[in-house]
Amino acid sequence: MTLQAALEPVLALPAFLALAHSFPTSSLLAAAGASPAASPEALPAITALQINAGAIAPEAAVLVAMLACLLVDLAGEKAASRWVPPICYAGLGASLVLLALQWNAPLQPAFLGSFLPDNLSIAFRGVVASSTLLSLLISWRYVERSGTPVGEYAAILLAATLGAMVLCGSTDLVTIFVSLETLSVASYLLAGYMKRDARSSEASLKYLLVGSAAAAVFLYGASLLYGLTGGSTSLDAVALALQTATTPVAALALVFVLATVAFKIAAVPFHQWTPDVYEGSPTPVVAFLSVGSKAAGFALALRILVGCFEGFQEQWKLLFTVLAILSMVLGNIVALAQTSMKRMLAYSSIGQAGFVMIGLVCGTKDGFAAMVLYMAAYLFMNLGAFACIILFSLRTGSDRISDYAGLYQKDPLITLGLSLCLLSLGGIPPMLGFFAKIYLFFAGWADHQYLLVVVGLVTSVVSIYYYISVIKMMVVKEPQEASDVVKAYPPITWAVEGMQPLRAALITCVVITAVGGILSNPVFSWASTAVTGTPMLQRAITLASATSLS
Amino acid sequence: MSLSSLFALTLPTTVPLQGFLAVAAVLFCTGVWGLINSRNAVRVLMSIELMLNGVNINLMAFSSYLDGQLIRGQVFTIFVITVAAAEAAVGLAILLSLYRNRDTVDMERFNLLRW
Amino acid sequence: MSIADSTQFLCFLALSAAVLLGALGVVLLPNIVYSAFLLGGVFLAVAGLYLLLNASFVAAAQMMIYVGAVNVLILFAIMLVNKKETLAAIPGLGVRRILSGAVCAGLLGLLLRVDFTTPWALPGPVSIGEGATIRIGEHLFSDYLLPFELASVLLLMAMIGAIVLARRDVFSSDVITGEGVDQGLIEKARTPLLLEKNLQIQPVLEKTP
Repeated sequence: MTLQAALEPVLALPAFLALAHSFPTSSLLAAAGASPAASPEALPAITALQINAGAIAPEAAVLVAMLACLLVDLAGEKAASRWVPPICYAGLGASLVLLALQWNAPLQPAFLGSFLPDNLSIAFRGVVASSTLLSLLISWRYVERSGTPVGEYAAILLAATLGAMVLCGSTDLVTIFVSLETLSVASYLLAGYMKRDARSSEASLKYLLVGSAAAAVFLYGASLLYGLTGGSTSLDAVALALQTATTPVAALALVFVLATVAFKIAAVPFHQWTPDVYEGSPTPVVAFLSVGSKAAGFALALRILVGCFEGFQEQWKLLFTVLAILSMVLGNIVALAQTSMKRMLAYSSIGQAGFVMIGLVCGTKDGFAAMVLYMAAYLFMNLGAFACIILFSLRTGSDRISDYAGLYQKDPLITLGLSLCLLSLGGIPPMLGFFAKIYLFFAGWADHQYLLVVVGLVTSVVSIYYYISVIKMMVVKEPQEASDVVKAYPPITWAVEGMQPLRAALITCVVITAVGGILSNPVFSWASTAVTGTPMLQRAITLASATSLS
Repeated sequence: MSLSSLFALTLPTTVPLQGFLAVAAVLFCTGVWGLINSRNAVRVLMSIELMLNGVNINLMAFSSYLDGQLIRGQVFTIFVITVAAAEAAVGLAILLSLYRNRDTVDMERFNLLRW
Repeated sequence: MSIADSTQFLCFLALSAAVLLGALGVVLLPNIVYSAFLLGGVFLAVAGLYLLLNASFVAAAQMMIYVGAVNVLILFAIMLVNKKETLAAIPGLGVRRILSGAVCAGLLGLLLRVDFTTPWALPGPVSIGEGATIRIGEHLFSDYLLPFELASVLLLMAMIGAIVLARRDVFSSDVITGEGVDQGLIEKARTPLLLEKNLQIQPVLEKTP
């Protein structure tokens, strides 16, 4: 707390100076919408308190790290590969510490209402920042091995993180749009980063075209909402205007906005880009997209659907129920047929997003808490799995599932780590994923979402089948049945620079996945504090319980 | 400048708000059609620009008719223009790197990855 | 109706017609270069509509950024990738176009219906007119400060990323081990490498299949 208090004036200073210059002549009447006839003298001075720049101190840390990466990169590739990693660790670590300091702090809107550092946003920003940190740890060797510049890679990934983190807390249509696009444009660039590979460029172009179209659709919805409020872009004003809005325009805006949210979290039928982008992008980028970008998408979904469209709960809950069922069924069934590890994880991530949507549809305290908890668990188990497949592809240059045959003989670490993470993704008991999933299903059952829970259980069983078949491939095969790639497996060495961080990330993720389940009590209470410390969710919960009683 | 001050005299306008909204809707839908049907990747990018311009007309119309004093829509439009420019630059860079790898801009032939 | 009113109405009609015909030309003309020039026309006509809406600053921005930057960029891209390419005919293309046309017409009907049936909060406050530029500046440094700063990050990152992707590296190597590398995905399309020669990757560009 003290650190943040000390930082606040420093951070607020530049913004405040800019304001001090612009405001003597200003007639910006009480941005909160006073009557246009008021005289300029009545103008309230904008204070550092209203700007409350300390709220984005975690983002500022990421930004500083990004700029430092770019500057260090000027000194050449050698210097970059030496200095960029520690800069990134420092920036993201500072960001996580600052987020922890903000936890449960008295709530104060920032930037005149365009940003709200509530506990929900802090939880999701924490997930985003951790996913970037872990993705970067597993990236270094991959990026250097492919011969692409490291400094720019880290800078673009940090910019994507910045966009995603601001998106988690933004409460204004303009801020949402700009942060969404920062995240998206950075993701397009990262997807195409292996520029001599036609698959990577193709994935990037497809992602860009679909993503820009989704952004344009979102903007059309946003413009209708702006017209509906009669001239305000803040989500509070939108929520107010929607209470009295006629159905057609609200429904159209809802569908347009929901399409973008569904695109971002890759819900069926807005998922078509996912398998291609996941297969064609560099694997560490996929790791970030599957967790960080998705977490930001869920934060946006909560902000808009729960915060604004509460009058249209019936409609959006119905739509999301359909999306959730389709995602769980299609994601998990198509994953059965995949031969590429990355593509299988892509479809499995579609199915996982379907599970998380159960919590969103519930709209109870447990539902929201289960969402947060599942995203946190998914962070570790999914990134652990990605760390293993990156390590495997670094050693063999392959990501085909059949090439994993007999790996147990040659590389027990990958075998153990990948097995534990996949079992956790499938929801096998002692793992972290089991507790997170059971909490989701419990919340759904308590809210009478029987159909969703039954579909979730059945598709979980399906998912266990294909996860186990990978494990079987690695463990059960006799040495002579091993794939050619495994037979020619190189000697295991960690000496090359960039392998140690990969190992650290792998072990961290696997240990948390394996042990986190048993020690999950603090995580449960953390997730429920994230919900109780968020006024928007509290309002929705009271509303929901009031309607269920009546 | 002089042209716009000429029009400033004529408010309230005789063109209804819905006139601008209709132009925006047609522009948006044309963009959507082009997005689906264009085979040249550059034309797909152009279609996206059409959609964004449709949105901008919407925002500007609302800003002028409903929010004449605070004109938040105009600020929104400026952000959209900025982001669209960045997106176009990135899109063309990606297109260029893909063209070097594949020697084509035909959307139907981008099939190394199955859809 | 005064002369000024009718002039304005006529301007609106002319500009709308230019926007709509230009947009149709952009998506329908077979020659992409004509499409690109028509796109510039659409951008200019849209800037004209902004002038009708009392927004001279945004109209200027539209002209400088869309016409001056985006459209020129698109023309450059066309020139750079402009190879005579005979597109292979695709069966059922006509049907697909008509079907998608019907879908888009349906969408248009929906949008128009919403536009015309919604009771917008008309009339709003009088327009700020020429004060708009000052007001926009105030917004950018007060309630839209956060998106304004974030947009600068977006532009910086887009610039760097576009350079990285479009730059032509003739030769590159793994800085740690010094081996030659191909700037492609580590996971190769064919089962590779290990079997051919222990991990000595040749800096060969992947050819189109």
